[in-house]
Amino acid sequence: MSAATDMERTQRQATSVGAGALLGLCLAAACAAPFVLNGYGLYVLTLTGVFALVALGLNLLTGYAGQISLCHAAFFGVGAYATAILTQSAGVPYLLSLLVAALFTACVGAVVAVPAMRLKSLYLAIATLGFGVVLQKIIFEWRGLTNGGGGLALSPPVIAGYELRAMGLYYLTLAVVTLGIWGAWNVSRGRTGRALLIIKESEIAAGALGIPAARYKVIAFAISAFYAAVAGGLFAYLVRYIHPENFSVGLSIAFLSMVVIGGLGTIGGSIVGAAFYVIVPELLRGIKDAPGLVFGLLLVVVMVLMPQGLWGLVRRLGRRS
Amino acid sequence: MIANLIVGGLAAGCLYAMVGIAIVVVLNITDIANFAQGEMAMVTTFFAYWLLDSVGLTWWQAVPVAILFGMVQGIVIQQVVIRPLIGSPVLSAIIATLGLNIVLNSVAGLIWGHQTYTFPSPFAFSAPLMIGSVPVPVASVVSILAGLAIVVAMTWFLRFTWIGIGLRAASQNPTVARMMGVSISRTSAIAWGLGGLIGGIAGILVAPLLFLDTNLMGALLIKAFAGGVLGGLHSLIGVFLGCLALGVAENLVGAYVSPAFGEAITFIIIIAVLIVRPEGVFGRVKVRKV
Amino acid sequence: MARLSIEEVSVDFGGIHALRDVTFELESGSIVGLIGPNGAGKSTLLNCVSGITRPSRGRVRLDEKVLSELPPASVAGCGIGRVFQHPELVADLSVQENLLIACHRSLGYGLVSELLKLPNMWKAERDAARRVEEVLGRLGLSDSAELTIRNLPYGHRKLVDLGRALLMDIRFLLLDEPIAGLNDAEVAKLRDLLLRLREELGLGILVVEHNMPFVSRLCDRLVVLDLGRLIANGAPADVLSAPKVMASYLGEDA
Repeated sequence: MSAATDMERTQRQATSVGAGALLGLCLAAACAAPFVLNGYGLYVLTLTGVFALVALGLNLLTGYAGQISLCHAAFFGVGAYATAILTQSAGVPYLLSLLVAALFTACVGAVVAVPAMRLKSLYLAIATLGFGVVLQKIIFEWRGLTNGGGGLALSPPVIAGYELRAMGLYYLTLAVVTLGIWGAWNVSRGRTGRALLIIKESEIAAGALGIPAARYKVIAFAISAFYAAVAGGLFAYLVRYIHPENFSVGLSIAFLSMVVIGGLGTIGGSIVGAAFYVIVPELLRGIKDAPGLVFGLLLVVVMVLMPQGLWGLVRRLGRRS
Repeated sequence: MIANLIVGGLAAGCLYAMVGIAIVVVLNITDIANFAQGEMAMVTTFFAYWLLDSVGLTWWQAVPVAILFGMVQGIVIQQVVIRPLIGSPVLSAIIATLGLNIVLNSVAGLIWGHQTYTFPSPFAFSAPLMIGSVPVPVASVVSILAGLAIVVAMTWFLRFTWIGIGLRAASQNPTVARMMGVSISRTSAIAWGLGGLIGGIAGILVAPLLFLDTNLMGALLIKAFAGGVLGGLHSLIGVFLGCLALGVAENLVGAYVSPAFGEAITFIIIIAVLIVRPEGVFGRVKVRKV
Repeated sequence: MARLSIEEVSVDFGGIHALRDVTFELESGSIVGLIGPNGAGKSTLLNCVSGITRPSRGRVRLDEKVLSELPPASVAGCGIGRVFQHPELVADLSVQENLLIACHRSLGYGLVSELLKLPNMWKAERDAARRVEEVLGRLGLSDSAELTIRNLPYGHRKLVDLGRALLMDIRFLLLDEPIAGLNDAEVAKLRDLLLRLREELGLGILVVEHNMPFVSRLCDRLVVLDLGRLIANGAPADVLSAPKVMASYLGEDA
């Protein structure tokens, strides 16, 4: 018994040292990247960071609390529009509008969670999908505020007199993602993360431990909407032109796939999944006619060979080395 | 006016229902929500088009062959992609079907391109039937009859045939079913075959109403899921009625309430219903024993 | 000295009377066995006390506080611990982490402190870890603290589940078939543990169990349910020899 314990303990320590080293390496590489990449490469990397942020939040909801959401594209969109409108029309400083927009979207997320308290699996998927459609429609039809189908063109944001262009936005995204990883890590290992895990296991058991499942589902939706909205606020200024069509159900499904492909309930998985979803199609762009075909095949192959996601593979390789 | 809208809604609802039943048969027996169901039907429909256009079969010859193709396609996909995923987390299997959705869509794009085709129908030019004073297009009647026939046939198949009873046993209690000699792998293959078959019928009936292209089934898939959830995914009748209700609601909301917000309002109705009935109108809430 | 009162509790499930006018009391420091044939309503009664099932009539009180109007999480917060027949643990977490789940209410920090790992978060976590260690010692599981639940024998899993209840500052403990699936040594250990918990913490324990030798040696009092009705309530020896009780058990066997 105690031998097994020791083995597990050493294994855990080894992985945590490995994870620390990996994290440091990744961060160093990420800091150096703009000096190596061209403008397009930088764009792809920033987009990866933006989607990783959404995936981090969604993974708390789906991987930890076990709740499916198909309206994260809409949260992403609400965040994008709210940030853009606050910054562009109301003249609020960019960073402040990112935060305010995210808090606003977290409230929207909490409202969406209300039916989620009783719904499960596909029923929840369709209800959240419905919310996504409704939110997207509101963005589309509220023309006075959002310019509807005309879309919103944005000029680069200014932080403390410095105009944020591709490089600046990249570093801002990197900082936010780092903060996001840290926050998600803390939550997943704290009181809330543990509560979400037991809710996924059994809501009745959670209740017996004094954990109100309904309240924590609302919290999980709100946190993950917060993440999606911050990502949306960054995305708006990355592409500098947003349109309601950007935030359709297809994107929500893509977000969910990122989390599953990367690894449910793992923080590394959120990052790897987002990278897979953004970078692989870009690499495949050269293949004539068939990027979709290869990407779809890869999706199938990864799931068949690694049902626990890509992060499991990364972790296994890390343990071996 | 209102009668026309209702008939049109019923016809659309029947098409949702066919896709919905294909999805639900697979879902109830294998626990997997098949996101590739629509694209499988699209490929089957294109195959039928190829039989008609290039091989030169008549409609009545091509359709049975295509439907058979749909069934074989379902079984092959189950064997290649789904069988290795039995026992994996359900979400992984669902994402695999999503990948499959993308694969089938691009394969169809590679073979048939992204232009639109006109899919023939023997009912296209018939004069509308008059039911009372309401003119009803023959295509709508065919959709409604086909939808009804599939519900009745599937209900009969699952209740009264040995294969059907085995399928239901496997879905309700895999362990007991295995002890009774029901093979989970085989029931899963049969379910996917049936799904492919029913989906194929839906595709062939939808194609003449819209235009045939690679995005034929995209919207229909979501509607089928939504209608199924509305009625309750655990009963075929529930799915059928849910999809009919969805079709009618869409038409009525679009015409009388707000054309722009039609889809959004329909979803709000679905959400409202789910808040009251979390397992759909015809679903029963399972009580978990602790 | 606290008192848990079940007062004329009835539960109807769509025409089926799962419980009919059941009344009895449980004081802190006493161990009461709840027995009866299958379908007698024992689990339903536990569910009523822990707030999972709402009584159709009657109520459950803890001293002056009416529990049967509260949601399960608040009932737990009042000091009613519940251990299920099958332990519902998170298989991928360690024993220690699973126990930390139960410190939920006593960890008072908010979401912002958690996201940013403010000092009050890690201080609270450190205190919780110390309490978990204490409970692990009490359960004799100190060596297994870092083991994931997946690698833990079934008997130990049941102990972890019990440990979670102990971490919630409970005054009453509801146990549903605690010895099902345990071997003889584990059963003996569990009995000693329960007796010690009563001595040291003054817990009141309500235990549903089929094993008659175990209940009659553990409990001060037995309450017998049959078809939703309370048919006996008294000292184990008296209850088990009562003709009514024997009839209900024999009736089931015949």
